[in-house]
Amino acid sequence: MTTPARLLVVEDERNVAETLIERLTSAGFAITRADSLASARRAIGEGSYQLALLDVGLPDGNGFELARLLRERAPATAIVFLTAHANAEDRIRGLELGADDYVAKPFHFRELLLRIQNCLKRAQDLVQVPGEMRGQVRIGRALVDFERFLATVDGQSQSLTHKESAVLRLLAERAGKAVSRDEILDRAWSSDEFPTSRTVDNFIVRLRKLIEVDAADPRVIRSIRGVGYLLTEIQRE
Amino acid sequence: MARLAGPVKDSAGKGGLSTAPMRRTMLLAIAAAIWLSLQLVLVVWWMTVIERQARQIATLEALRGGDVGLAAAQWSRTRLMLIGESSTSLALLLAVSMLLAWLYWREHQRARSMQAFFASVTHELRTPLTSIRLQAEAIAEGEQRAELAHRLLEDSHRLESQIDKTLELARIEGGGSLREQSIPLHAWLARALESIVQGHGPAVDILAHVDAALPPIQADAGALQMILRNLVENSVRHARVNPVSVRLTASVHGDELLLEYQDNGQGLAAGAGRLGRLFGRGPNSSGAGVGLYLVRRLMQRMGGRVRFNTAPGEGFRAELWFATG
Repeated sequence: MTTPARLLVVEDERNVAETLIERLTSAGFAITRADSLASARRAIGEGSYQLALLDVGLPDGNGFELARLLRERAPATAIVFLTAHANAEDRIRGLELGADDYVAKPFHFRELLLRIQNCLKRAQDLVQVPGEMRGQVRIGRALVDFERFLATVDGQSQSLTHKESAVLRLLAERAGKAVSRDEILDRAWSSDEFPTSRTVDNFIVRLRKLIEVDAADPRVIRSIRGVGYLLTEIQRE
Repeated sequence: MARLAGPVKDSAGKGGLSTAPMRRTMLLAIAAAIWLSLQLVLVVWWMTVIERQARQIATLEALRGGDVGLAAAQWSRTRLMLIGESSTSLALLLAVSMLLAWLYWREHQRARSMQAFFASVTHELRTPLTSIRLQAEAIAEGEQRAELAHRLLEDSHRLESQIDKTLELARIEGGGSLREQSIPLHAWLARALESIVQGHGPAVDILAHVDAALPPIQADAGALQMILRNLVENSVRHARVNPVSVRLTASVHGDELLLEYQDNGQGLAAGAGRLGRLFGRGPNSSGAGVGLYLVRRLMQRMGGRVRFNTAPGEGFRAELWFATG
């Protein structure tokens, strides 16, 4: 018998939260509920979760603050935003803060369930780091720890989002070989997120800022015209 | 949850806004500065040209053997006149520019408020809709629990209330009329409170101390119902206690009747002066910024007045003053 996945549900609307919890519990998840930023902070401090369902609007703050906190304290936790404001700006902000998915209200429960399962699977894949990628790996000017979702540059540590980590790890695993944009999309995004190859390019820009000495003249992650990207150097520390 | 109507925020709470209007304002400010600078240069250039002409006239007058002193005096007068005319023109230009800038700023604020309002209304409609869909899907999959039906009723009530408020806002702002009549408060409250309490279930407990011997008030029955409903909804949404207890008391002061509304909520740290502004929402408020505004507007339209008060730990209080008769 497998242990049920632990989910943190942060939702201040009582009826939505109660029904959601009942249905998720029936689907086999172990749920902790928080109805405010303060109670969610307490829950994050007291327990560990495989996935957090975060409402963007909370009575004493917003879900973005929680996403930031989760990325710092529990980088392995997958984050799914639930929001009634599904505008592009909020969505981009959420994904930049490390959300694994963004679900607009009203949603179908089965669709939400599917997305939760996809996110958990991707998060599980990310946590299981292959032997050659364990410990610290030098990529460009950054020391990357895939197990802890951390990149250290000039002594300053910075947490990596799941997607950043997935993209960088795929390139690192295939160092010296070109990786197509489609492969990158398959690894880090689910099909229901409707990503485009432009989405990958944006992530590469952010990764270059992190690892390249001069992001305007990239030497570590090189663009291969018509194909995708190639990681030129990787070194185990 | 703040029941406070604060400045509209540009954040990621309930109602994020675009930064495009801000960019437009910046561009307009730059254009206005360029335009004003151009006007200033034109005025200075005009003064220089005219003064040069006046000086040439005086020189010609001297060459012609005319009265140089008279020509100098004329030149001085002309110069003073030019300075006066130029200053007046510049002042007028400045005044018109400032008026245009103010009108644009007001319109811009209104557009931002409207944007925030529609974002909030969308949120207010989507949230109960999410809940309704979740309950309905559970029922469709064979779950049969009274709790699901109760939640469905609560959510449908919330949707109905939001739609009513939006329609009432459109009606009132569009100059819609009220039908004032003599209403005996004691008898009217007994009926009205029953339907309000039914809508909220066990979340609200309302206790009214209203003497049957009090004189009737001049009010529109529909407006009165909306005022009470909005006040109770405001308490339920922002009091942060469960259940919410509301106390209603009435007393006569001269030819006015004071109906006092007090809840047992946690109150707010921010001042009460901002409560009741249209589309005004506090940080992280989940409301649309319409409920208390409608209370204030409807009271004004009925010839009465309202005063809101709140403080941390002291709950929310509204004083509703009606004309008797």
